[in-house]
Amino acid sequence: MIELKNIEKYYANKGVKSYILRHVSTEIKAGEFVSIMGPSGAGKSTLLNILGMLEEPTYGEYQFMGEDITSLNERKRIDLYRNHIGFVFQAYHLIDEMTVAENIEAPLLYKKIGGSERKSRVADVLDRFNMVAKKDLFPNQLSGGQQQLVGIARALVAQPSIILADEPTGNLQSAQALQIMELFKKLNEEEGITIVQVTHSEVNAGYGSRILHLLDGVIKEDLKVNQTV
Amino acid sequence: MFRINFKIALRNLLKNKAFAAINVIGLALGLCSFVLLLLYIQFEKSYDRWDPELEQVYQVREKHHFGSRDNKADWQITNDSRVAALLKKDIPQFKYTTRIKGAHDCSVRTTSAEPVSMSGFRYSDSNFFKVFPYKFLLGDRTTAFSNLNSVVLKEHTALKLFGTSEVLGKDLKILGYVGDKGVVYKVTGVVEDPVCPESVDFGAIVYDGAQNQDPENLGRTSYCEVYVLSEKGIDLGLLNLTIHKSYLNFKKSFPDFDPKVNEKIKDHGLKILPIGEVHANPPFKEGWVDQIKSVGALSLFLLVVSIINFVNLATAKSVQRAKEVGVKKVLGASRKSLTWQFLIEAAFLSFAALFLSIVFVELLLPFFNSHFDLELSLWHNREIFMIGLELLAILVIVTIMAGIYPALVLSSYRPVEVLKGSYTGSFKGSKLRYGLVIVQFVITVTFMICMGIMMQQGHFIHHKNLGFDRGRLINLPLNYNETFAQRLKKIPGVQYVGTTTQVMGNVFNVDEEGKYKQQIIHLNMVTVSMETLAALGVQLKTGRLFSREYQQDTLNSVVLNESAAKLFGGNCIGEQYSKKSWDNKEYRFKIIGVIRDYHNQGFDKTVLPTVYKVTQQGGSASTNNLLVRLNVSDMRLVIKQIEKEWRILYPDNQMTYVSVEDVFKKELKTNDAFIEMIACFSFVSVFISLMGLFALSAFVISGKTKELAIRKVLGASNIQILNLLSRSFLYLVFAANLVGWPLAYIFASQWLSGFAYRVDITAGPFFITAGGSLLIALLTVGSQAGKAAVSNPVKALKYE
Ligand SMILES: Nc1ncnc2c1ncn2[C@@H]1O[C@H](COP(=O)(O)OP(=O)(O)OP(=O)(O)O)[C@@H](O)[C@H]1O
Ligand SMILES: [Mg+2]
Repeated sequence: MIELKNIEKYYANKGVKSYILRHVSTEIKAGEFVSIMGPSGAGKSTLLNILGMLEEPTYGEYQFMGEDITSLNERKRIDLYRNHIGFVFQAYHLIDEMTVAENIEAPLLYKKIGGSERKSRVADVLDRFNMVAKKDLFPNQLSGGQQQLVGIARALVAQPSIILADEPTGNLQSAQALQIMELFKKLNEEEGITIVQVTHSEVNAGYGSRILHLLDGVIKEDLKVNQTV
Repeated sequence: MFRINFKIALRNLLKNKAFAAINVIGLALGLCSFVLLLLYIQFEKSYDRWDPELEQVYQVREKHHFGSRDNKADWQITNDSRVAALLKKDIPQFKYTTRIKGAHDCSVRTTSAEPVSMSGFRYSDSNFFKVFPYKFLLGDRTTAFSNLNSVVLKEHTALKLFGTSEVLGKDLKILGYVGDKGVVYKVTGVVEDPVCPESVDFGAIVYDGAQNQDPENLGRTSYCEVYVLSEKGIDLGLLNLTIHKSYLNFKKSFPDFDPKVNEKIKDHGLKILPIGEVHANPPFKEGWVDQIKSVGALSLFLLVVSIINFVNLATAKSVQRAKEVGVKKVLGASRKSLTWQFLIEAAFLSFAALFLSIVFVELLLPFFNSHFDLELSLWHNREIFMIGLELLAILVIVTIMAGIYPALVLSSYRPVEVLKGSYTGSFKGSKLRYGLVIVQFVITVTFMICMGIMMQQGHFIHHKNLGFDRGRLINLPLNYNETFAQRLKKIPGVQYVGTTTQVMGNVFNVDEEGKYKQQIIHLNMVTVSMETLAALGVQLKTGRLFSREYQQDTLNSVVLNESAAKLFGGNCIGEQYSKKSWDNKEYRFKIIGVIRDYHNQGFDKTVLPTVYKVTQQGGSASTNNLLVRLNVSDMRLVIKQIEKEWRILYPDNQMTYVSVEDVFKKELKTNDAFIEMIACFSFVSVFISLMGLFALSAFVISGKTKELAIRKVLGASNIQILNLLSRSFLYLVFAANLVGWPLAYIFASQWLSGFAYRVDITAGPFFITAGGSLLIALLTVGSQAGKAAVSNPVKALKYE
């Protein structure tokens, strides 16, 4: 699904290049659940943003579902957002002026899905996340964990092929964090959704199938996880 | 999609109610003043457009001295009546010419009723309705004036006199002046009141045959207005050359026509003016186009201030929407849809403002109309469609200006930066925003200073010593009649009775060329009666006023005003000067007294060097001013007594009078109205700018909550924080003052130069404005900053 070849990223500051990512090459297959780990400042978020096409690499080749991303136009990228990629953020990033239901519905609007189907899909997701009672609340009326659930629900409702999550549990208590991880795992196993997450926690990483260890912009380790949980 | 965006917009507005209100109200105020301006311009432009045939109608303008305000020649509306026949004879393209006398008040009696005082009855020759295409409701356009002593009424006049417009064939007795025996006229037509205002305004056209002829004696002139109906497709410029030539030829036959002897005749002339341009080109003063320029500029400035405000607030607020945009983008929103979203939101807001401004206009119009003596209306306006279109255009411009920044900047923003949270902090485009605030304040400061100077000038002319006593002085529209004057003087409370050709509200200037020690001296000549100067309460400087004790006072004694005395070298009591009359006889006059200059026509022109005479040997006092000086405080009783005497002498006329005090107020009214308008503009402008500053500072500060909290935790004091927040805004206001001062100076001196009597520009208004604007700005920003400064930092930090 994803193929990175020799990805480099640097910022030039007063003529001095400071590298964030160096020679990053890897492949992520459909159905994998990958966790990116590493110390702060290692370039994890940068890598994830590149995967999500929010940032461009300075150098290297990136293929997403067989398409070369570096030569992709705006239109195509929006299409990918609409149909294949779901984002989950550490700070949730729900739209404050929209209710829970409206937040979840938003991506479907951009996919131009008909009204009745939108309703039923939103109802479905609300039901699955046990949030029917909260559907008319605004984000600031929810707890952090609940907000993140809405964030994930929003990412899922458009039925993406891949979910990119940057420290999705970074702001949450461990109990809530585990709930989210269980959810990810279920989605990955039952619906075959590819998941790439950045995390600092070994426990969280343990839910996935593979761990990429990043250090100073270089992939130091690429481990398979023993499914022991 | 539209629905959810609409909902978001609405929720955003509700969340920032104060912002939204300030935004919308500010723009609405600006639009309101602009709509009023549009209505006003539209009204002025609508003069004489009530029939397409009017395009062939022209007003004749003769350039001459007679009756001019400052004794200088001007293209006057009143002409020598002879030009009508002249033009008909010399210009083959002219189908008809008509002469019409100016409107004056007269008394009208229908068979039964009491006499009614009517204005707008005008005497014309038989061609009037051949030239003007009035629509006859009753009667016939071509035959209305076939017989002498016919009158054609406008419908409103018929209604006023008879209560019905079915008045064909009825009789009217018209008394042209007080004391007139009156003539009976037959109503031969009723014409429709045109929907547009007219330059040739009348209530009735009276035809008595007198206007068909010109005076036979070339030394005498009948002055009247002349209009022509021309063929289509004339070349106005070329024709006016021909007209001018034929006029000069014609003038050669006159006894006083010798450019060597009569200097003044050199700049006389004749031309025609399309009737549609008459209203914009009045003689002696600027037309409305020039008058409106300043007000127009002002209301445009106000509109600019309010648009700036709107754009500023909209863009400032849009930063708060950065996250929404970022998130929407990663959910797959296209740039186009985001751009539209913001544009539609701006359109929605500006539409709300437009709606509100129309409410304002509707509320203001009655007041505006009565205050400025206008008849503007929005919904009954014939040009409502055009006005709507113009407003729509403004709306589109405002929308684009307010919406394009957030629409383009935000929608082009890279989501990763927004989502990282770096966007709010960077506060992009703040330079532009600060720039706009400066512009806003420059305009406001300029307004405030100008208003200050204008108010000083207003105060000055209101309280200026006029040189005569305007209180307890009334003016009756009568010629002097010795028996009537004596009877009035018997009424207790009446001190003096006199007549004059020159009193505030009714001035008739006559230029007199005198010779003093071989020098030609031009004086403005005023004819008075014995007691007039005493009645006016003028201030004597040297010598004496007229008195019955001196026989020669009715012959060759004159009183000068100070300006005239200067021409005679100051101390000139007892001096004599000579004057030649039109038939070349020489008269000598002796100066018996000098009075202080007194004002009789506003303050825009200097008081003319004037000579006052009781004698008939150089003029007459038949200008319908009978001044009565009262010496009791309760004028009503005395006026009742005067009315009794009036009834005895003039039973066919209602008594009318004006108090000179009221005339003075009326004289100042246009000026006062202008100052009030400026004051209005200034307050609205200050209000909008402050609202803008308030909202902007609130916004900036809310974006800095976290920074402030951290500074406080690090040990910054409240004062330091207040200082930090207010300083940049105060710099802005200060800079605006620096720019505004010279501008205000230029505008104010420009305006003041229109007055012959004016105040000096002092530093006062400048410093008060600077101090005031800084203080208000400090309070505005301070109230926001204060809140931020004293708030508990923990809250802010926790919130993140
Ligand atoms: N716009 C930028 N300009 C210069 N350097 C940048 C920029 N953005 C990020 N960096 C640098 O890139 C490096 C990697 O940042 P990144 O956010 O990817 O780290 P991270 O691994 O996600 O760290 P953390 O675990 O703290 O989130 C950091 O050293 C950071 O200073
Ligand atoms: Mg990170």
